[in-house]
Formats: sequence, structure tokens, C-alpha cells
Amino acid sequence: MELVKKILRGDEGSAARLISMIEEGLDEGYKAVSLLFPHTGKARIIGVTGAPGAGKSTIVDKLAVSYGRQGGKVGIIAVDPTSAKGSGAFLGDRVRMRNAEKVEGIFIRSMAHRGFPGGIAKATLGAAYVLDGLGKEVILVESVGAGQTEIQISMICDSVITVFTSDYGDEIQLMKAGLIEIGDIVVINKADRPGAIEAAKDIEFSLMSSKDQPWQIPVIAMEARKGKGVEDLMAVLELHHKHIKNDAQGNSKKREKMKHLVLALFKEDLWSSTLKKIQGKTAFEEVLQKAQNGTIDPYKAVQMVMDLALTKK
Amino acid sequence: MENKKTVKVLIAKPGLDGHDRGAKVVAQALKEAGMEVVYSGLHRTIDQIVNIAVQEDVDVIGLSIMTGAHIPITQKLFQKIKQKGIVDKMVFVGGVIPSKDVPTLKELGVAGVFPGGTPLAETIQFLQSISKKG
Repeated sequence: MELVKKILRGDEGSAARLISMIEEGLDEGYKAVSLLFPHTGKARIIGVTGAPGAGKSTIVDKLAVSYGRQGGKVGIIAVDPTSAKGSGAFLGDRVRMRNAEKVEGIFIRSMAHRGFPGGIAKATLGAAYVLDGLGKEVILVESVGAGQTEIQISMICDSVITVFTSDYGDEIQLMKAGLIEIGDIVVINKADRPGAIEAAKDIEFSLMSSKDQPWQIPVIAMEARKGKGVEDLMAVLELHHKHIKNDAQGNSKKREKMKHLVLALFKEDLWSSTLKKIQGKTAFEEVLQKAQNGTIDPYKAVQMVMDLALTKK
Repeated sequence: MENKKTVKVLIAKPGLDGHDRGAKVVAQALKEAGMEVVYSGLHRTIDQIVNIAVQEDVDVIGLSIMTGAHIPITQKLFQKIKQKGIVDKMVFVGGVIPSKDVPTLKELGVAGVFPGGTPLAETIQFLQSISKKG
């Protein structure tokens, strides 16, 4: 396919187009991904996740500049949330990536998550393949930043940085299943703020259980906006990169991630194609109305919808 | 899988003026109308704006200009658009635009001009109808 050839030759416009096609879920787009796929796997994918306002975009900006200085070709995929009330989105991450924009050959793409669970969009991995095919060596993925359930980002990334600030809550929040389980590296950003040292201690304590693991999650203090701690973060990323290469369980972890990812994508497609099949049908609308009227409970409604969806025609 | 193409819009602030309240209000309204809006931030050069439009693969570029330099800025934008080969992008302009300049902007290739005070619904409707055609 012409589009794929152009991307492999480094044509930005074609890469941008293909990413849109994947976002729209076009068959042509997926065909192109299949053709591109054998040429991928060279890039290193680094994810940055954490709460809104924690400083993810700023950290991505600084990392892009650092990798650019080392001569690396950098791509960024910045995912922002689609409005819960509709299909619209405000994609504002570029505003904080002005330094990254100056990096030679950088490609930055904003992306709305379009309802996909787990902190990324369904098209994010596809976009990473495109940037890999375009010749980018380091791809930085910034997650939506919705908080505790951004598990999907770790499925598509080689290394994940979780960004906290001192106001994440308390020890109890950390003990809940969530963000801290996703990352390979923890950053306490805005470390000059009161409470940051205590936060770092709490987080280190809650990471005690990973002490006997082959990779001990490091905690890095940063003031990202001033550029403080960027070198430390770069050094730790390098260590993690080496760790993955030498990790005896590395391959089985990778296989496990891929399985998880295929299942997540399958779930998404199954849901949207099933909904398409039954939407607008009288029987389906009737069930919805019964639930809306309060004559049946929502669990019952789902049972009835499942029956409708699974019966042929 | 998705039934219809989502409209993606770049709202850009070229040049020196530091007033982005209007641009943000429009961006918010377009978002609420179901569009995906990339916001450029302040003080952008035309080169940067066109670069962003390419990488983001937007359907529409909206310029918000309050400096009075809307004609030369728009001229330069269309030059760059031709150079980069992205002539399929639709362009609209908002901000402080005297009505006498509207015909000139349209001649340059601007699809719609929405000076400050234009009802948001008008801008939204315009973008929706234009993008359906494309």
C-alpha cells in the first residue's frame, strides 16, 4: 500500500492520516497497520500516567528534549479525555509541550480517548506503530490522567512512569489497588511543595512489598517545570531499559501483556459491534424503556439485552 | 466501527496578541458540539500552526486574531498550506475583524469569518455543515 511506503520513507502527512484512519476504525487503516507491523518493534515506548494536573505533559516535554539532545528521534502521543457528555474533546497537551516542539524531527499527536477504558485510546498502540514505522526511536505516551484505573497504558509501554504530587491523598489511598501498581518508576513532582517529602516516604513504604522483586520501583523527586530531577529520571529510565533486556521473566511478561491487550481490544469491538446490531430494534428499545420506567431493575434489563444480542437475527 | 467521522479542529493563536479568552470559549463550544479540538496556545508562528495541522491531521484550522494583522497572517497561512500540500484543510477566522475586511479574507480562501460577538451556535452550525460536505 502506497500510504505505508510513504510512512516508511518518513512522510509525516501520511503518518498523520493513517493515525486518523485507525482512530476512525476504518478497515483500510487496519490493513495498513498489518502491512506496517513487520517493520515495527524498534522503538522504545515510555508511558507517563498520573492524576490531572500532576505534571505529566511537562515531564513528557522535558523527556522529549533530553532524548532529542542525545540525538534520539522522538514521537509523542498525548491522550486526553473525550467528554462524558458527548463525542467532543479539548486536546490541550501541546500547550505544555512547546520545548518538545523544537526538537529536531519530533512528531506530536494529540488524541481523544473516545471512551476506551484504561487511560489510553483504542488507537494509541496503532499510533505508536505508525510513529515506529516513521522512524521514531523513543515514543512517549501521555495517558488521560483519570487516576486509579489506567492499567491499559502499561500494556502498550515498555516503561511506565507514574506521576504523583504531595496532594494525592494519604497512605490509605496508596494501599488501594491503583496507580502505584501500574508504574515501573514513581515520580513525586512539585517536590518543593509542603508535604512532598512525607508523600515520598508514604509511597516508598507502600512499595516495600516490591522489595524482593527483580525490579524495585524507584521514587524520584522532581520539579519538572524547573527541569529539576530530569537527569535522575533519565538515568532511572536507562536502568529500567537494561533491566527489561536482561529480565529472565521479560518474555513471559510481554506475552502476558499482549494477551491482555488483545482481550481488551476484543471487548471493545464486541461491545460496539453488538450494540450496532441491536440498536434501534423494537425489542431492545422496549427493554430500555422498562428499565427507564422502573418496571424492571437494570440487572434484569441487561439479562434481557444479552438474550437479544446473543440470539441470531 | 464508528458510524461517522469526528470533526477535528485546530484553534490557533498566531502572532503577538495575548488574548485567548475568545479562542478558549470557541474551543469549549466546539467541544460541547461533539468536535475534537486541539488548542495551540499563544504566540504561534504560521510555520508552527501548519506543522501542528499536519501532525494532528485536523479537518479545520481556526485562527483567532486580535492584532489587526488578520490579512497578512491569513495570506501567509495559505502560502504555507499550499507549500505543505494540505489544501484540503478548511480555514476560518475569528477575533477582531472589521466587516470591510471580510471579502478580502474570503478571496484569500477563508471559508468563514466570525468576528467577536458572533453567536457560538452560528460558528458551530457552519463547521458542521462544511465538514459534512467534505
